[in-house]
Amino acid sequence: MVQVDILLQIVFWGLYAGCIYLLLATGLNLIFGVMKIVNFAHGEFLMLGAYVTAAIFAVTGINPYAVILLTMLVIVSIGGVVERLCFRPILGTGKLNEIFLSIGLIYVFENVAALVWSDRWQSIQSPYSGISIPVGPVAIPIDYLIIMVLTTAILAGLYLFLERTQMGMAVRATSQNRRGAMLVGIDVERMDMLSFGIGSALAAAAGTLWVVSGQVFNPYMGSIPAIKAFAIIILGGLGSIPGAIIGGLLYGLAENATAFLIGGPWKDAVSFIVLIIVLIIRPRGLFGEAEE
Amino acid sequence: MTAPESGRRAGYAALLVLALAVIAPASGDAYFLNLLLLMLIFIIFASSWNLLALSGQGSLGHAAFFGIGAYASTLIAVKAGLPPLIALPLGGAAAAGVGILIGLTCVRLKEWFLAMVTFGFAIITQTLVVSVLAPVTGGWDGIASPRLVPAAISGSSLIEYYSILCIAALSILAIHALMNSRIGLAFAAIRENETEARASGVDPVRYRLLGFAASAFLAGIAGALEIYHFGYVTPDIFGIDISFLPVIYSIFGGLGTLAGPVIGTVILTIVSEGLLDFGLTFQRFIVIGLVLILVVIFLPRGLVSLPDEVRKRWKSRKKSEGALQEQAK
Repeated sequence: MVQVDILLQIVFWGLYAGCIYLLLATGLNLIFGVMKIVNFAHGEFLMLGAYVTAAIFAVTGINPYAVILLTMLVIVSIGGVVERLCFRPILGTGKLNEIFLSIGLIYVFENVAALVWSDRWQSIQSPYSGISIPVGPVAIPIDYLIIMVLTTAILAGLYLFLERTQMGMAVRATSQNRRGAMLVGIDVERMDMLSFGIGSALAAAAGTLWVVSGQVFNPYMGSIPAIKAFAIIILGGLGSIPGAIIGGLLYGLAENATAFLIGGPWKDAVSFIVLIIVLIIRPRGLFGEAEE
Repeated sequence: MTAPESGRRAGYAALLVLALAVIAPASGDAYFLNLLLLMLIFIIFASSWNLLALSGQGSLGHAAFFGIGAYASTLIAVKAGLPPLIALPLGGAAAAGVGILIGLTCVRLKEWFLAMVTFGFAIITQTLVVSVLAPVTGGWDGIASPRLVPAAISGSSLIEYYSILCIAALSILAIHALMNSRIGLAFAAIRENETEARASGVDPVRYRLLGFAASAFLAGIAGALEIYHFGYVTPDIFGIDISFLPVIYSIFGGLGTLAGPVIGTVILTIVSEGLLDFGLTFQRFIVIGLVLILVVIFLPRGLVSLPDEVRKRWKSRKKSEGALQEQAK
């Protein structure tokens, strides 16, 4: 017998976790769509986003939610530099090189962060941490609701950028047909840099939401969520942004349901078991293109 | 330089390294001996990862095999009362068994997907060890393991060192023999072009499983040796770092070459330990990360290809200089 309050709690916590996953996965998928690469170091931008937000909050004391845009701006530039210096030279040299390069980036970012901010677990408190709203039998922290609203706003912004602006259309064109985009005069290398920067900034936004909800963070927090985001885009379809959004939410729900039903330690393992079963049946992912 | 000549040269280099490793303990420095011993263990581990790469596969979860070898051999030694030297290959065999199982789920997967699944397996194994298997494995607390050579025997650390040196040399010789056999040929065929390999009668699935089993066996042996050395095993052995290290060492030295993982392990261990001596805990990982990025971008075939690259550069410069002189005339 599953009680209503537990069910509601699973749903709300799942949606909250799902918001973080879907931002990560959407960013990863945006980069994959344009550049056809997977950045396994994507989680490091989540980590950097968390630290940048916490640092700005510590220095200025501004409401941490208001810092999200500034954080994203900082990470856009870092992401652009990483693309230009690291990923562009190895573009088209094989998928294994991306993985190896990402491992190098993980080491660099994690330890630079540890050097600057120490490797202790930290946390900050949201100004609304005491407030919660009763929904039926359970009390939902107002932070979770703000996070869901903010995530929706960021996705809406991304949608408007991709659909309504000249530059967004160029990004989409590059993602659909790189050579065709080049032929109509789009600077595809600039689009690479742009989409990598935006993708990284989405991960950084996830990092901001991570810290404002009061979750603890340390320099090594990024790698597991990044791998999960990759699992989500495998399930939801490589390059498909709606797939990443739905996949991210479902993933958050499934993970929290697992933690409640089977126990905390199984949270990470179950998601991989699901992924492995899916890949045994469909080796290119649920919506992946057929094997060549 | 002809092929047999370069082969002979590599043979001499290997003998030289072996000779250095044999006389090294004469320094009598315990810290140095300990470092060399761990280096040897990681040479076996990195070479095992490299063997899997040679069969055209990759893994981001090799810690699973390292850890399974460690736990299995410890448990066998403790529960069945067998001497560690006998439990050692049994632990490797346990890792190989799991390797075949993982290989079976991975035979159709490539690149990113393979990387993901192997990474996931390391996490699943760790979860099993701390939850369902906790009564046997001691959960997060871990369990004590026997020593390869009982500490009571005089000169035990020297005996341990030379045993591990023998095992490392044997492992590399075994990989060398394997790569020069029909199996090695089949690995190369699958790696280069699977469709063509299948057309010429090579069964990719069989050889992929063989690659997984052999690689997991060696990784398991390496894990068991490390744990016998420390005398204690905890689930941290399944950590991401342990999975990444053999990858980093192999790529740095030279992916798919026999010498690559050895050179990579030796140099990066020395660099890392040297920086640690200066108290640069985090900086050493930054250095390793940067070195890895630079190698992937500028020297994709690793450090072993450095002489070739230099020669090529030099030759092409000479050639262009020659052309300039021609023009001047």
